[in-house]
Amino acid sequence: MCVVTKKAFLLIFTLLPLFLFSQNEKDISAFKKVIKSKTHKFNTNRYFSKAQRFFIEDEWDSTLLYTMKELSVRKKDRELIDYCHFLRGLSFYEKEVFEEAEKEFAEISNTFELNNNVKVILGAIALEEEEFRKAITYFKEIDTITTQDLLGIKKGNLKHNIGLCYLHLEEYEEAELYLKNSVVLHEQQKDTLELISSYGNMANLYYQQYKDKLAIPYFEKAYQLAKTTNDFVSKQNTAENMAVVEENRKNLSKALQHRKEFEQWKDSVNDQNDIWRTAQEEKKYAINEKEKEVVVLQAENKVKQAERNTFLYSAIVLLLLLVASAYFYREKVKSNKIINAQKEDLDELNATKDKLFSIVSHDLRSSVNAIKTSNKKLVNTLETENLKEVNNLLQNNSAIVNGAYNLLDNLLNWALLQTKQSYFEIAKLHLFHTAEHVAYNYKAILADKELSFENNISKSDVVFADQESLKIILRNLIDNAIKFSNPKGKITLYTQNNNDEFCNLVIEDEGIGMDNSTREELLKETVLLSKKKHENIIGTGLGLQLCKSMIKKNNGKFSIKSELGKGTKMIISLPKKPTQ
Amino acid sequence: MNTVNVLIVEDTITESDALVSVLKQNDFNIVGVANTLKSALNLFYNEKIDIAIIDIFLDERPDGIAFAETINAIPNAAKPFIFLTSSTDRTIFGRAKLTHPYSYLIKPFNELEILYTIERALEKFYDQNDAFLSDDENLVIGNDNLFIKKGKSLKKVHTNDIIYIEVEEKYCNIITEKEKFVILISLVKILELLDPNKFYRTHRNFIVNLQKVEEIVPGDNLIILSGNHKATLSEKYKDITKKIRTLK
Repeated sequence: MCVVTKKAFLLIFTLLPLFLFSQNEKDISAFKKVIKSKTHKFNTNRYFSKAQRFFIEDEWDSTLLYTMKELSVRKKDRELIDYCHFLRGLSFYEKEVFEEAEKEFAEISNTFELNNNVKVILGAIALEEEEFRKAITYFKEIDTITTQDLLGIKKGNLKHNIGLCYLHLEEYEEAELYLKNSVVLHEQQKDTLELISSYGNMANLYYQQYKDKLAIPYFEKAYQLAKTTNDFVSKQNTAENMAVVEENRKNLSKALQHRKEFEQWKDSVNDQNDIWRTAQEEKKYAINEKEKEVVVLQAENKVKQAERNTFLYSAIVLLLLLVASAYFYREKVKSNKIINAQKEDLDELNATKDKLFSIVSHDLRSSVNAIKTSNKKLVNTLETENLKEVNNLLQNNSAIVNGAYNLLDNLLNWALLQTKQSYFEIAKLHLFHTAEHVAYNYKAILADKELSFENNISKSDVVFADQESLKIILRNLIDNAIKFSNPKGKITLYTQNNNDEFCNLVIEDEGIGMDNSTREELLKETVLLSKKKHENIIGTGLGLQLCKSMIKKNNGKFSIKSELGKGTKMIISLPKKPTQ
Repeated sequence: MNTVNVLIVEDTITESDALVSVLKQNDFNIVGVANTLKSALNLFYNEKIDIAIIDIFLDERPDGIAFAETINAIPNAAKPFIFLTSSTDRTIFGRAKLTHPYSYLIKPFNELEILYTIERALEKFYDQNDAFLSDDENLVIGNDNLFIKKGKSLKKVHTNDIIYIEVEEKYCNIITEKEKFVILISLVKILELLDPNKFYRTHRNFIVNLQKVEEIVPGDNLIILSGNHKATLSEKYKDITKKIRTLK
């Protein structure tokens, strides 16, 4: 809050009280701090925050400009408008346009939190305009408020001002009361400048009443105090007062001395004003320079920002490119890996196929060759009309052809399975009948080898499988059983039905069996074909591979139980219920 | 007793000869062997057949499927048929499947397989699945015929030839003018499958062919049937008299 002080001039016998409203440094910050903190919440309003800043920097015109802008924007909340008017009033007051100031203050609503300050300033304005009664009314209103929370208003100054008003109204008793009060308060607060002013006014008070004896000590006190300060105006005023006093006391030499002091201080004040003005000019110039610099810097900033943005975008683009290329590179590596793995697989499969070809063609070749020689024999035998021998040879031939046929059949089925060409339909099947149908074809061979065959499958056993593939499986397994059986052996087909989901079909023989390593070899998930160990008996292994693949396709399981020399059990587990 | 009439549609003579000989050995009557679609349709329209065995490929064309489609489309003349093929090719089999064959047979096949397949086709056509498979029953009842499995061979009995059916313990005796068949089946089940306009239950143990009724003697609870066969009439089923009247 601006602190209102005044200085009294005593010129010869006349008191010329001038009311200068100055602020000492400390008070500036106290009051402005209040303003700053109170208006901090409005800083989001661009104009107001500027106005507030300019106000703090004592740029009254700018303050007026921005508060006007702020007010003209649109209706804000009451408090903000009040602050605008308040700042405007203060600025007008500082510019000593008192009428405008009063108008602005009149706009402020009653609820405004700095209303007390408003009143103080209104009082000060009244004082400036020499409407002392009005001033007293304003001041007294504030004076009666006893709270400490006067937001930068100093009680001492207030009392001082009231006293001053009374002094002007020549109501000395009242004036004396208030001035004394203010002296006490100022002494308490050790406000030197204000104390000087108070002393001066006290002195003037007494002097006007011709109470010289009371007045003079105050003049001297003020004079002595002023000497200790740097304030030229105080020094000047007190010196002048002292000169007048001494002149009145006819102490001319002293009066002259004081007068000289007064002149000196007056010059100092002027000097100071000049210096101050120059400083202001310099400051203005510096500010202009700064502003220019700011403009240049801003432009530079803009350029830099644009540059930076360009860099940023190109960096992003590059990064994206990098990521994309990394991704594609990885994909490529991945697919290369897959391709390599596939190539290896294909190579392996190709090798297997070649091997299969060679074995199959070898087998077929020997079969056909056997028939060829057998046929030659047959022709010869027929010439001798040995019919028994002819029959034997024919039987032999048909056995060879049977084997070759089975081989070709498996080959065809294998090819169809691999190319997924064959018709495949899982349906309900009666195991007994299917087994019967397959076994029917082996009747002759079984009889020839004097093998006994039993189909002990229950007629009620039902599985879900593809009929044709099951027949192929059974054909191969029965064929194997016959192949590996010793003459007069026994082959049995039966089911183990002790599981809810699977029905086990067992093909059991009492033949040569196999060791565990062979068993595991046969069960391996491999397309590699087994080697011929028994030149005459063991075939390509294609049959068993086909069985395994087809059982798997029928959602079944395959296992082998075997004991070397005792026999083999081939077990097919097939689902009893249709799977999805 | 009659034999089952089979139509064979097959263009390879060796195949059809083999098939004919197997079926003849098993007491089937071959009404004809067609080697083209046209002759097959001719035979189908002119002969009374019970089942057709069709090769999918006739002269390299899937005419067998066309034939099946045709006989499927003739109203009230649908007959069971079996597809015969050496082709395990997927696409053509998928197409064949659309005609709803009653069964199919992949070449080469043996005697057992062909007999079994014919039985399955009949069961499926008359919607009496597994009738021939179980140990108990070996009878399939059609609209006009009964198909009875006797040992390995399949016999056909015209329902019109049946005089009456009598229960004897667990078995049913089916009596025709010339023969008597003993079949393990319940009377109730037979009654369900027979035409109710032709056959009527007269007693807990008797079903009679209404056309064969010659005399009803209510006083003696007796029905005299043709061929001098006699059936019992119980109180519970006495309204047979009404049925007879409406027939006359």
